[in-house]
Amino acid sequence: MARSLSFFVLLLFVLHVSSESTGEVAEQLEGEEFTEELLLRPLPDRKVLSHFHFESKVPPTNSYGHHHRIFPKAIYQLVHKYRIKEMELSFTQGRWNYDSWGGFDPIASSNAKPPGVELWAVFDVPPDQVDASWKNLTHTLSGLFCASINFLESSTAYCAPDWSFSSRSGNLRYGSLPREAVCTENLTPWLKLLPCRDKAGLSLLMDRPSIYNGFYHSQRLHLTSDEFDPVALHGIVLEQTLTIVLQPDALDTRASFSSSRKLQPSWSMSSLFGKMVDGKCALAKSSNVYVQIEGSLVHNMKDTWNNIEGYDGEIAQEVPYEGFGSNSNFKFSIAPDRVMKETNSFHKDGYSVLYGFAINHYHGSKPFDLGFWWNLPVTWSCVKAPLRVSRFLMGSGNEKGAIALSLQSTEWSQSILKAGKNEEKCNLRVDVFQVVPWYIKVYYHTTKIFVDGMPQALEDIIEKMSVSPSEDKVSPGVMELILRLPCDMKSASLTLEFDKGFLHIDEYPPDANQGFDIPSAIISYPDFQTRLQYKEDNASIQSPMVSKMQERRTVLSYTEVLLVPLTTPDFSMPYNVITITCTVFALYFGSLLNALRRRVNEEERLLKSKDKRTGKLQLLLSKFLSKVRGKPWEPPSSTPPSSSSKFISSKVILKILLVAAIAFGWRYYDG
Amino acid sequence: MAEISETMGTESSPPEENRKDNSGSSNFDDKIMRKTKPGLKRLILTLTVFFSFLLGLPWLLKSIEIYRSPLPFRDIDSLSNAIDSNPFLYPCRFHLVFVNLEHSTSIRSNAENLGFLISSYMLEYADRNSFCGTCDGNYTISVSLDSGDECVEYEDADKGILWKCGALSGLNFDQTVENGEVFDDYLQSIVGKSRVYTVVVVNTGKGDRLRAVVGKYRHAWIIGRVAEINLLAETVAEMFIKIFVSGAKDEGSIQGEFMPVGADGKIVLSFNLLNADPRDWIYDWDIKEVDEKLLAPTLEALGPIANISVESQVLYHTPKSSYSYWDDEHESHIFSTKDLPFFVNSNEWHLDTSIAAGGRSKILQFVVYVPSANECPLRLQLPNGDISVTNGFISPTWGGVVVFNPPNCMENANSMHPLRRKISSQEVNQIFEVFMAQLRQLFGLKSTGFYKGASGTSILLASERGFTEWELDALARQHACYNLQQCGTTLGSLSRLVQSLPRMIIKDEIGKQVKLSLEAAKLTQDNASQGIYDASAVSSRHARSLAEDAFFHPSVMSISYYSFDHMFAVYSPFFLPLSLHVILAVVREIKRYKQESRKYAAWEAIRKQHSD
Repeated sequence: MARSLSFFVLLLFVLHVSSESTGEVAEQLEGEEFTEELLLRPLPDRKVLSHFHFESKVPPTNSYGHHHRIFPKAIYQLVHKYRIKEMELSFTQGRWNYDSWGGFDPIASSNAKPPGVELWAVFDVPPDQVDASWKNLTHTLSGLFCASINFLESSTAYCAPDWSFSSRSGNLRYGSLPREAVCTENLTPWLKLLPCRDKAGLSLLMDRPSIYNGFYHSQRLHLTSDEFDPVALHGIVLEQTLTIVLQPDALDTRASFSSSRKLQPSWSMSSLFGKMVDGKCALAKSSNVYVQIEGSLVHNMKDTWNNIEGYDGEIAQEVPYEGFGSNSNFKFSIAPDRVMKETNSFHKDGYSVLYGFAINHYHGSKPFDLGFWWNLPVTWSCVKAPLRVSRFLMGSGNEKGAIALSLQSTEWSQSILKAGKNEEKCNLRVDVFQVVPWYIKVYYHTTKIFVDGMPQALEDIIEKMSVSPSEDKVSPGVMELILRLPCDMKSASLTLEFDKGFLHIDEYPPDANQGFDIPSAIISYPDFQTRLQYKEDNASIQSPMVSKMQERRTVLSYTEVLLVPLTTPDFSMPYNVITITCTVFALYFGSLLNALRRRVNEEERLLKSKDKRTGKLQLLLSKFLSKVRGKPWEPPSSTPPSSSSKFISSKVILKILLVAAIAFGWRYYDG
Repeated sequence: MAEISETMGTESSPPEENRKDNSGSSNFDDKIMRKTKPGLKRLILTLTVFFSFLLGLPWLLKSIEIYRSPLPFRDIDSLSNAIDSNPFLYPCRFHLVFVNLEHSTSIRSNAENLGFLISSYMLEYADRNSFCGTCDGNYTISVSLDSGDECVEYEDADKGILWKCGALSGLNFDQTVENGEVFDDYLQSIVGKSRVYTVVVVNTGKGDRLRAVVGKYRHAWIIGRVAEINLLAETVAEMFIKIFVSGAKDEGSIQGEFMPVGADGKIVLSFNLLNADPRDWIYDWDIKEVDEKLLAPTLEALGPIANISVESQVLYHTPKSSYSYWDDEHESHIFSTKDLPFFVNSNEWHLDTSIAAGGRSKILQFVVYVPSANECPLRLQLPNGDISVTNGFISPTWGGVVVFNPPNCMENANSMHPLRRKISSQEVNQIFEVFMAQLRQLFGLKSTGFYKGASGTSILLASERGFTEWELDALARQHACYNLQQCGTTLGSLSRLVQSLPRMIIKDEIGKQVKLSLEAAKLTQDNASQGIYDASAVSSRHARSLAEDAFFHPSVMSISYYSFDHMFAVYSPFFLPLSLHVILAVVREIKRYKQESRKYAAWEAIRKQHSD
């Protein structure tokens, strides 16, 4: 009896515990969530990409209420005040090197951003209120992030893309500030949105001097909400990413390899950032570090392996590090917790590998410092975007010019060509979205397209085009294009001529002589979806960053920012012009008045009487005047000039005194 | 030109004149006389130009005029004068019910002049505290005498106050002394919902001292043996003035300018749960329930005074910035009152302003501080060495802080994984009781349950809404008064600013806001004079926020008005030389015309002589 009772008690206890734990799990599932992740990837040009990914989720308000534990209050209020459906804000310094850092992977498509600030937002408000919401949003964001985002308020700075930018057009607004400088004062408010800020967890690595010393720095904030949908399912998802490209200081490589010059620099987290992670953020649901090895690198490593070690084929088929073998091309200082393989590689010969490190069991006395050591030299190249895009200016002078967009095929499009040979005609769809400020008056009818240097008829290449020409001081010019380029082309270019406009004197920025920026154009390739499908030993991966990579995304890239010099006036000019025209008018008017009240007869008489008494000076003067007039000189009659000249001078003095008195009086009564 | 006019007189006259002259008279001198009438052509011409310029001047000024919406300067001045000279007075009505159950004659005879006694004492008290929002002298007292079977009403002015005769005769007063709440509700049912402050004095004739209780509505009662009528009158007078009129405030407590209400009449109560170090433990709370159950009634009650919204957040990694030391006696970490200015760590506690609130709203931060494990039982030591019961403090106009010590501090000191806990609802209720008291203190009200006056101590019953009705009345009166003062000064500054900058653009919107603000101010005064406290508080809030809106209108801030110097620089190159030409021409032509007409007159005279 006693035994059965104790068993019963035990059962009760177990039941209780299990119910409690399930309750907790359920709460975790439906409540707020925060995850932190860091992706590190060696880049072919001896640099290292580090990509921080923080994600906060909150369930919809109607089921969860408006009090939160983890989700930042500011963002929640922002979403609700302006009824934001989706928003993305990025601060970027430097330009993403599409050639050597890759242009096809998810990070390049979603985190390579144009320099300066880029903001777009979709609002859930009636179309006539979208502009007002946008204006208020820009002001709030500029306060929130200590940046001059409020310059996007003016209707000349933002635009409403018709169809190309996003499928949810209508309520979408897009604007960018290419010249916004990005620094710590923008990062600190961004960090404040994280529950642990930079006090614990992966964000501890963000040592300001090292992250701002990099080659590329882009902090991004992306939020999606379905709060205002009738059936809200997901609530608000806030995704914060920081993408940095750093040059590692080469660690003292232990391997004294003969060709150590060719060896890629080995690095560790402390050598990259100067800091280590002591434990995860206590609020984070998961806290992981990933190291990504690209497919071509894996492929090349296999090759080097085969060459040097003479491995037999079957082992070379294995992923390096799968057995944590020490004689692979590289090794980690810490054994990875899991290895994930790409399953749907575009490259048949290589698939990328993701090594996962959980930092749950590290703490202050045992910090997490991941090291990456190269054993063998290896070279590889990233997967490039289908086309290499660059945009430049043509023409000289301050009057007119042309924008040229040059698209050059990469080895990628060559491979497409091979693949698509059996079809009758292979096309490459390229979408172009370009915003041009109003003072660059683009003549869209001058659009010319050259394929491989040969001019082409527009209708052959352009599938769809929508243009909203700029309106002076009201709206910028927006061009959206769908191009169908033949796959076998080597290069294509698109030119547009423009005239440079004149700005009102108030509209010049303080540093007008520096020139004016044309924001980056967005080039996207809707035919291509970047998607890295990873698989870990038949188990799905619970990682927001990896699932983000697995999402289908259109490959897109940004062009360079163009710097257009405009004529800058001398800013004191208006006053000079006013003064000179007024003086001329006054002279004209005064002489007209004098001419009207002239008495010719009287003057002639006067002259005659004057002739009798002219001084030497007057004699000379009249002689000179007559010479100038080309008339025969008549000796003037002498007049004593002394009295009159004295009278004149006294009159002049009187005039000056009068003016002075008026001026004085003016000042006196005005002041 | 100068030479011409000057030499005219000295030189010979025109030849045709000479000819006539020679033929006419012998004594014709062409220096001083002429035969023809002087011509008006050039004079008219120059005058036309001159006058057309004069006429064009207003047109020019009109064209460069800056749009200024006409502001009602006179109304603004009269408003600020009215506020300065006579702060508006609320009519207060008091009612004393004297229930005399002891039928001794001495009390009875004195009771008749109780009303006069009370008003004389009240005058005395009212002199001592007269600040904005009281009914300084503007009150009526009515007295009802109830001796069980017969009732006498001594009423000053008001017939509306009625006392149900003998309503209290059936009650057992020993019980009511014990249970104040029930008696309070019973009195409310008798007195009804009027804006009259009632004090019920029950002379039971038993006991040796009076027991004074202030209810949560608009009445109080005094029960016990009334020995002397003068003392009773003084007590009642003090109750009326100090408690009902002034809201039982402490001397030197928070006055109008420290009222925690934003310029737009809004308050945001921001509740923050700060986990000093989440590596030790992470506390969570159920603020949603608190918001719905505890805060909602209070916020509704405070509705007329301010528009209050609630928001919350939980922050982590927020250490305090002051020091604490371990005290063996109390077995806890101690921080003293002199550390309080440094307790709030403005670097790490990013409490933040609210995006949801407007720019001029007031944000009151209420902070629950959960200390980290190495400072765990953290207690506040009062200056007298005691440990604070509430373990919290307030900072006027900023908010309040409460330190919440997790139970079993040492339990999780060295664990790898942080403890995830929820503050239990009982603990949350305790914390929010402290917060409620802090909110009352921030509004300048007493947080203790009794009032110690000159003539004895009164017990103040607390309302479940946090604020009793008479407190709300007092707050409404003070806020209305303070808001109106602020409105007056803001509008006065605006009118001074506008008048001092004659070239500032004033948009129509500002004029409209000023007009509406003045209307709201007038409405406030009307409501106040009728004794509708809450309505006057609401309209005064409107008046103030509109005045502030007008003053801080973005167009006022802009630099689009340019100085007079600028205009001088732009127009003087044209008008200065031109006006010299025109004026000199006019002067000369007039001079010459006069001279010539004098000459002609002289000749005329000579000719007349000759003809004569």
